[in-house]
Parts: sequence; structure tokens; C-alpha cells
Amino acid sequence: MAIIETSGLSRRFKDVIAVDDLTMAVESGEVLGFLGPNGAGKTTTIRMLAGIIRPTGGEAVVAGHRIDRDVEKLHEVIGMLTETPGLYGRLSARRNLEYFAGFYPIDDVSTRVEKYLKLMGLWERRDDRAGTFSKGMKQRLALARALMHEPKVLFLDEPTSGLDPEAASEVRQLIRRMQEEGCTVFLSTHNLAEAEMLCNRIAVIQTRLLALDTAESLRRRFFRRKVIVELQSPDPNILAVVKGLPFVQEARKEGSRLSVELMDSERNRPELVRAIVEAGGKVVTVSEEQYTLEQVYLRLMNEEKISDAQAHS
Amino acid sequence: MTLRRIRNILRKEWGLLFTDPNSALLVTLLPFAVVGQFILYFWLAFRFGSEGMLGSSIFQTALEKLLQTIPEAAALPASEQLLVLLLNQFQFILLLIPVMIGIGIAAFSIVDEKLTGSLEALLATPVRTWELLLGKTLTGAIPAVLMTWISAGFFLLVISLLGWGNLSGLVLTPSWFLSLFLLTPAVAILSFMLGVIGSSRAKDSKGAQNIALIVVFPILALIGIQVTGIIWFTTLRTLVLALVIIAVDIIALRAAVHLFRRESIAIQWR
Ligand SMILES: Nc1ncnc2c1ncn2[C@@H]1O[C@H](COP(=O)(O)OP(=O)(O)O)[C@@H](O)[C@H]1O
Ligand SMILES: [Mg+2]
Repeated sequence: MAIIETSGLSRRFKDVIAVDDLTMAVESGEVLGFLGPNGAGKTTTIRMLAGIIRPTGGEAVVAGHRIDRDVEKLHEVIGMLTETPGLYGRLSARRNLEYFAGFYPIDDVSTRVEKYLKLMGLWERRDDRAGTFSKGMKQRLALARALMHEPKVLFLDEPTSGLDPEAASEVRQLIRRMQEEGCTVFLSTHNLAEAEMLCNRIAVIQTRLLALDTAESLRRRFFRRKVIVELQSPDPNILAVVKGLPFVQEARKEGSRLSVELMDSERNRPELVRAIVEAGGKVVTVSEEQYTLEQVYLRLMNEEKISDAQAHS
Repeated sequence: MTLRRIRNILRKEWGLLFTDPNSALLVTLLPFAVVGQFILYFWLAFRFGSEGMLGSSIFQTALEKLLQTIPEAAALPASEQLLVLLLNQFQFILLLIPVMIGIGIAAFSIVDEKLTGSLEALLATPVRTWELLLGKTLTGAIPAVLMTWISAGFFLLVISLLGWGNLSGLVLTPSWFLSLFLLTPAVAILSFMLGVIGSSRAKDSKGAQNIALIVVFPILALIGIQVTGIIWFTTLRTLVLALVIIAVDIIALRAAVHLFRRESIAIQWR
């Protein structure tokens, strides 16, 4: 069952279109990666879905509430981790949480706050001012704040950006834990590896939605790894042989290098090498190349342009 | 729920207010500075300027109106009548205290949260806009009103120390009490509301203060109007004035809620 549904959701700021015609659905209990470079419209989308800013077009329903109508009810069932932690530096960790807890229908605030401070490993520092915390601790405190009313949907805006690897991995573990508890997580990130690690499905956005699929099928479509076979000398016949193999999707020759895309990189590689050797090719090295996120974007953007052009002709 | 949320806001804001030396000093010392300064001016005027002032037609009109409202003052020597006239201005001078505290605190309250990003997180909670605004307003208005009352006591103490205690009966008019207990809270709320509106619209706290400064002028004007005898604020007129400001308060809260569009304050756009 979809817990987030958007239809034609758009937002413009004066002459800048930040989000254009976003139509998608997120299933309950899913961790959705919202992947895009800086300025792609991730924060704007999250702000709209969290009822903080209004869309200029389209609509969305989150956990049964229209984002532009039932804002108060919506806010009871969502949690949001903003791009900057936005804590009160002069208040203690505990007071920060107590203050926010005071806006939700939570019966026993201090027990709840204790539970989440412990969960985030901040209990020992509960009475220290949030301003004295490290970046990672601030982020965990902000995460506690977003979680402590036990929302159905959690919006996380680049939760690991600016954190050192260790702090980032702690935050990721916490996100996994949220998912185990059945929370739907809408995770914005510009980190492809992170999205792959945590998410059931990934939406790639660049103002418009470019793709939405599981990491696996996106990889098959866009992030497919290429095998690079370095030959001792250029040999035109070999390219033809490689192209004829059933598991090869695409092959190109650049001098003495062959760049080959396989259906299944791991499994097909030995067979590819054997076929080349049998055809008389002298293999120097075999290596693997991955598309970077930028290449993926370029590719997606190009497809977009092509389909636009087709639509207009 | 609303009450709980507003109490929650007050508790947090006061926690922050009194751990910030600047704001704490503003709330505690400024009222005494205002009262002390005006008493000093009036003392100087009384000692050195009363003859000149008595001769001027401006003050003559004001004195006539004073004697109409407070006939007992007619028995006093002319220079003391003038002193009563001046001391009667304190009902309005005291209004400067809630205004200045309001501008000082409210103007920062929202801009600060906007700059640190806590406002965005706050607006993702179920808090209603008007609850947030009212909470922020009361944060400043309550201490401002209390400090105004304390300052009124301080004023009475100082005039008795100066040997003018016999005049206090002529200063503590019904209008004075109306002003203190009705007008002061109404003005406090109004100036905080404007401070909050200002700070929700402004990009930084300076801009917010400028917007809020607008309330100071009418109050100075009020003093000017009365001391020059254009209008004398009788009990009835003070009551009407207070009711008008209460009405403006209600309009201001509605305007604030309207102006305080969530997105214009949530997003810090550089
Ligand atoms: N408040 C705003 N006013 C004007 N333009 C904005 C505002 N917020 C975002 N934008 C613009 O919208 C686009 C998307 O921004 P944003 O949603 O912050 O992207 P992301 O979070 O993916 O980096 C950018 O071009 C940005 O300049
Ligand atoms: Mg962003």
C-alpha cells in the first residue's frame, strides 16, 4: 500500500523551477532513496511532502493526509530531519528533545526522551549543551528529535552529509533499525553508494523524476559495470567475436582496449575472457569500470532529452 | 493541548532568555534606566525651568485640563501643579518599557531560529502558527508587564524619596491604574506581536527591529499630545485607548498569522 503518493507535484521559486511534475508512490515500510546532485530539488520535495512549503502545482498525500490541507494531522505522523540539525545550542540535549516532544501528544515525555537519548547513544551526555556536541552527535540528536514521536513516515534530508565515515555509518545503522521497526523512510542523498546500501528503491531526480526502480534494476539499466579488456595489440576480428557472444550487451573498441558491457558482470567475465583467448586475442589485463553518478545523470538526462525531442516531433 | 504547547514554548524561551546576558540585562535593568532618566529630567525641569514653562501658553492649556480632571491640584502652588502635570506623564512613559523590551526580545526570537534552522524543524511538528506566535509574544510580554509594574513601584518610591510623596495621591489617578493594568499589557502584546511579525519577515534581526520600532513613535506622540494639552487623557479616554489597543492586538495576531506564512519563515534563502 502506498503511504506517499504524489501527482504532478511541482514547485517554482519565481523563475526557478525547483521540482517539476513529480509523480511517484512510496510503499509503506519502504526505504526510498531520493538521489540527485545539489540543486536537484531534493530539499524542496521533502519540504513540500512535510507540509512546510506549499507546492505551486500538483498534489500529494502522505500517510492519508493531503499535504496542503491536513497539515497539523500530517505533522503528527511524520518526522523530519532537516538539512542542518537546527538544534538549540544553548539548551541541553535533553531539553532540546523535551521541547519538541511537548508539541506531540506524548504522555510521558521524560521516559520517551530517555528512550531516544539512549537509542542514539547520547544518554551520558544528556545534560550537556547541544552546542558542545560533535557533528555526528548533533546529527544523532536531531535524528532522535525526528523519531521520538514514532512517526509513520520519516523524511531524512542528506542525513550523512558532512559527517566523517564513522559517524555516517552510525547514522546508517540507525536508519536500518528504523526500517526494521516498520517505519517508511524517505531518504534524500547525493551519494549513490549510500542509496544502494540502504534503500529498497531509488528515485533519481534532477528537477524531474528521471528514474524510479530498485537499486538492482537501476544498476542493470544505468550503473552496469563495464569490463575493460586490454589486449597486447589491436585486433579487429576480436570485436566481432565479442559482439557475437549471447551475454554481451554492448562492446566497443578503443585502440587495443575493449570495453564490454555484460548481462552479469561476475558470471560472464570468465566466459568472455575464454572466448577472446580462443579467438586468438592476447589478454594483458582484465579490469572493471563503473559508471560514476555523474555519468548516470548524463545518461539519464540524455535519454530525457531524446524522449522530449521525440515527443515534440 | 494549546495551553500545554504555549507553556512549553514559554519554558524554553525563558530558559534561553535568562541564560543570555544581553537579554537578561535588557529585561532587568532597562526599566529602571527609563524611570530614573525621566525622573531626572522632570526634577531638572521643576528646579530650573518651572518659571519659563509656567509662562508658556503650551503648558497653560495642559495645566487647565489637568485642573479640570484633578481639581484637588488647584490648591497647590503653581510650580507644584506643573510637577503634577509632568509626573502624570509617567502613565505613558512607563509604556516605553514594554515596547523596548518587546523590540529587544521578540525581534530576535524568530530571526534567530530562522538563522539556526531550528524553525524548520519546529514547523514540521504539529504546532499551530498562532500558538507559536502567541507563545513567542507572551515570552516577552509577561516579563515586560511585570517589569513595568515593578518600575511603577520604583517610580513611587523615588518620588517619595525626593520629598514629593504628598503629590502621589494626585498621580495615582484612576487613569493611572487603567493605564498600568489594561493599557500596559495591551501595548506589551502589541509591540511583541509587531516584533514577531517584523522578525518573521526580516532577513536579520536589525531589519526586524526597524519594523518593530514603529510602535515607539505613537507612544512618544501620546506623551507629546498630553503634555502640550492637546488632549488630556481622562479616565474614560484612557479606557477607550486601552480598548482600541486591545482590538488592534487581536487584529495584529490575525495579521501575524497571515503574514507568517510558514514558508517565508521556514526557508533561509541566501
Ligand atoms: N527558497 C528558495 N528560493 C528560491 N529558490 C530556491 C529556494 N529553495 C530552493 N531553490 C532553488 O530550487 C532548486 C532546488 O533546490 P533544493 O531543493 O534545495 O535542491 P537540493 O536539496 O537537491 O540540493 C535550486 O535551483 C535552488 O536554487
Ligand atoms: Mg538539499
